[in-house]
Amino acid sequence: MPVAARSIGAAFVTIAGRDRVRDDAGSLTAATVDGLRPRWVVRPASIDELSRALALAHDGGLAVIPRGAGSALELGNPPSRVDVVLDVSGLDQVIEYNSDDLTITVQAGISAGTLGALLAPHRQWLPLDPPGVAARTVGGITATNASGPLRARYGTLRDLLLGVRFVQADGVVTWGGSKVVKSVSGYDVPKLMVGALGTLGVLAELTLRLHPLPDTERAWLVLLGSAQAGQALVERLVDSPLQPSRVELFDASALRLLLAEPASAGVAVSIASVAEAVREQGERLSAMAKASGARIVPLPDEFWSKVESAMAPPPGFTVLHVASLAGRLADTVSAIEDAVRAAAPRAEVRLSGGASLGTFRVLVGGASVSEMAAVTTRVRAWVAEVEGSVVVARGSVELRRAVDPWGPVEPGPFALMRALRDEFDPGRVLNPGRYVGGL
Amino acid sequence: MPLSGSFLQELERIVGADGLVRTPEGRLVYECDMHTFYKGAPDAVALPKRAEEILEIVNLCRRERVPIVPRGSGTGLIGGAMAPVGGVMIGTNRMDAILEIDLPNRCATVQPGLINLSLTRAVASRGYFFAPDPSSQMVSSIGGNVATNAGGPHCLKYGITTNHVLGIELVTGSGELVRLGGKAAERPGYDLLGTAVGSEGTFGIVTAVTVRLLHTAEAVKTILASFTAIEDASEAVSAIIAAGIVPAALEMLDELMIRAINEGTGAGYPKDAAAVLLIELDGPAAEVEAQGDRAARICWERGALEVRVAADVAERALLWKGRKEAAGAVGRLAPTYLLQDAVVPRSKLPAIMRELIAIGARHRVQIANVFHAGDGNLHPLILYDDRDPDELERAKAANEELLRACIEMGGTVTGEHGVGLDKAKNLPLQYAEADLNFMYRLRRAFDPDAIMNPGKLLPSHPACGEGFRPARPRVPDGAWI
Repeated sequence: MPVAARSIGAAFVTIAGRDRVRDDAGSLTAATVDGLRPRWVVRPASIDELSRALALAHDGGLAVIPRGAGSALELGNPPSRVDVVLDVSGLDQVIEYNSDDLTITVQAGISAGTLGALLAPHRQWLPLDPPGVAARTVGGITATNASGPLRARYGTLRDLLLGVRFVQADGVVTWGGSKVVKSVSGYDVPKLMVGALGTLGVLAELTLRLHPLPDTERAWLVLLGSAQAGQALVERLVDSPLQPSRVELFDASALRLLLAEPASAGVAVSIASVAEAVREQGERLSAMAKASGARIVPLPDEFWSKVESAMAPPPGFTVLHVASLAGRLADTVSAIEDAVRAAAPRAEVRLSGGASLGTFRVLVGGASVSEMAAVTTRVRAWVAEVEGSVVVARGSVELRRAVDPWGPVEPGPFALMRALRDEFDPGRVLNPGRYVGGL
Repeated sequence: MPLSGSFLQELERIVGADGLVRTPEGRLVYECDMHTFYKGAPDAVALPKRAEEILEIVNLCRRERVPIVPRGSGTGLIGGAMAPVGGVMIGTNRMDAILEIDLPNRCATVQPGLINLSLTRAVASRGYFFAPDPSSQMVSSIGGNVATNAGGPHCLKYGITTNHVLGIELVTGSGELVRLGGKAAERPGYDLLGTAVGSEGTFGIVTAVTVRLLHTAEAVKTILASFTAIEDASEAVSAIIAAGIVPAALEMLDELMIRAINEGTGAGYPKDAAAVLLIELDGPAAEVEAQGDRAARICWERGALEVRVAADVAERALLWKGRKEAAGAVGRLAPTYLLQDAVVPRSKLPAIMRELIAIGARHRVQIANVFHAGDGNLHPLILYDDRDPDELERAKAANEELLRACIEMGGTVTGEHGVGLDKAKNLPLQYAEADLNFMYRLRRAFDPDAIMNPGKLLPSHPACGEGFRPARPRVPDGAWI
């Protein structure tokens, strides 16, 4: 039976109300995803509305792009179709905050900044610091499994998401996990939803594990002559009893934005604990740096927010996320630099990395689409050696057509991923084509 | 279901005569795990030595539609590693090698049959350890830890097994050998690894595991505080957490348990103590020192009878002695017990303890408690005499009521032991039809023929073959023309 656009639009209005369904040219153009203009922007005010809107889209064979704050819309393949942009930022309620249990249940559209402000008076936090974190929705951070320097100590949402309510492609509201900090009852569905880009269901409600805010946090920057020296320092650091909460490596161009003085490489180390322990560990870090002939400078409190802006991509820049091994830190930096030198000689590179994890955030500017594609392919070829990965976390639609933004997935796991996608969204309602391998 | 002669021949060809257990006496050894309630011997036990053999066995069983039950050391507490409908059990005990220790990347790759503690022993001299420490760690296998997503006393700070598994090699129920995860921190695509850990052998059987190794803490401080009321001890727990302290372990014993332990080994807990709290802190020395003082002060403030701080390794062992002997000590109170593993939000501990006393009184059974107070993970031991059928029934009724009470307080039916055969029937307490339906379908992607560990983890479903059917929301009338 053919479906009339007008009647679908009317049905969305029945579900969400006139002021929460947009189909005017201005709204639709503003909601364009990779050049594809949706036919509706729907902003549900409740999980029930979200569920009914998805059921409608499903039955009408429509393609739905879930959107939080819209900060990761340049992640993944350009979608194959776009009919509805489902704006979940209206689902921004706190459902239940149990500060005694260090858990909170929130709707997925709440921003991390709002959440942080709510937790701070209780001296608690959700320790996640991906770039631009304050404006991002917690659902978006979950769907993209975004993280920042704090990952060194606290992990990612994979380690912090206890329970999840999501709406499957056909509109069925589903819950996975639990509301307590420890549970092994049934499959670990929350982990499956982290980083799935909403392709197995739209995130609606999240139960999160919180951490106590540390009494004190202080950071130091060790200035080094090379990435090699940086790796040596990090190796000594992680092989010591020190417990840093962030260990971030910076290249020379990142350092130029962060600090007045030039250096080839720098490692910023942050220690968070009770004041005595912070001071004492700081002294040991200084001794460690001095023993290797490096200079160490104390950092001001606002350093990490400066990092966030320094590592935010200026317009036209591409962001690559490179996962390698901590034991190959310096090699990976060289491989990235070599790839840019060879494939995009005039390009500008800025790099930071989770040095204890072997993960990197690489900003590249001034490269053409074909140059950038070649850089990506070259770095990919190198990290294949350590079974790592390179993901285009942000890039133009042309780039993401020229090169697979996710990179290869081994055939065995990919067959399982396709089976899951076929099982839960056979009609490809949710983010069609955007995920790995065009799923 | 008896296996055909040709099937057994094929199995013997794969694992060799010394890797196949066929005799009734031999198979009897494998009829249950540590939850001896549930018995079911497999029709044959295969003891492979290589992943390729497991792959062949799975494909053979798949072809013949024979159920497979994976088993590590058989120390599980949930009726997971037994064969309720027969079939082939695959024991991983002969695959117990450490394949690689990679200290620059702080990880190790091991075969699934390796004993948990063996890994820590292999890296301890270089200052590292494997964090998951289930009480069975001297005998349980890492493959079993992965299957059940095992916890342990120190998971309050360090997390459970899943937080320490970087990668696995898995033979799926669909007969494929796949590698999920790996040493690198990121991998595009669904987190199949995170979903497979804790799947209790229903997705497949793990043939290798890459785990994270942690640096040994510089200092450890163990504190034992006794209280005259369990409420005071619970409040001390909340106050410690509220002070921003995350102890490595935070364990509690209740009055009945204290009495049992005191009568036995003489851990020397104060006679009039109604609750004992064991607090262990680890980390950089200055931090442990400061937080230890603070935790001890909090205990005094909450009216502790006594606060002891271990001065050295020997004293630490002494403070832990009673806790470690808890399960054995209750043997003095009753011939046997049902052990539960439910969780409540930590703030509900005083309420659930009151409820437990009421439940025990209602069903005329004694309930002794030893639990991981820091994360609200209870381990009530419901004592009964197995020679008295009525008492067994009362113990079971108390058990069911207790689970329901925990769920009502926002908890979960299992915190670290797993579901297995034992709690599959309880999952509907916690999950709606749509949630269970999702899990059935999730499993189907890995094990389309449902041959892997059938009957475990998920309740048997009413609608044959289809699983639970969730109701879909209604689409507005008039949406179609």
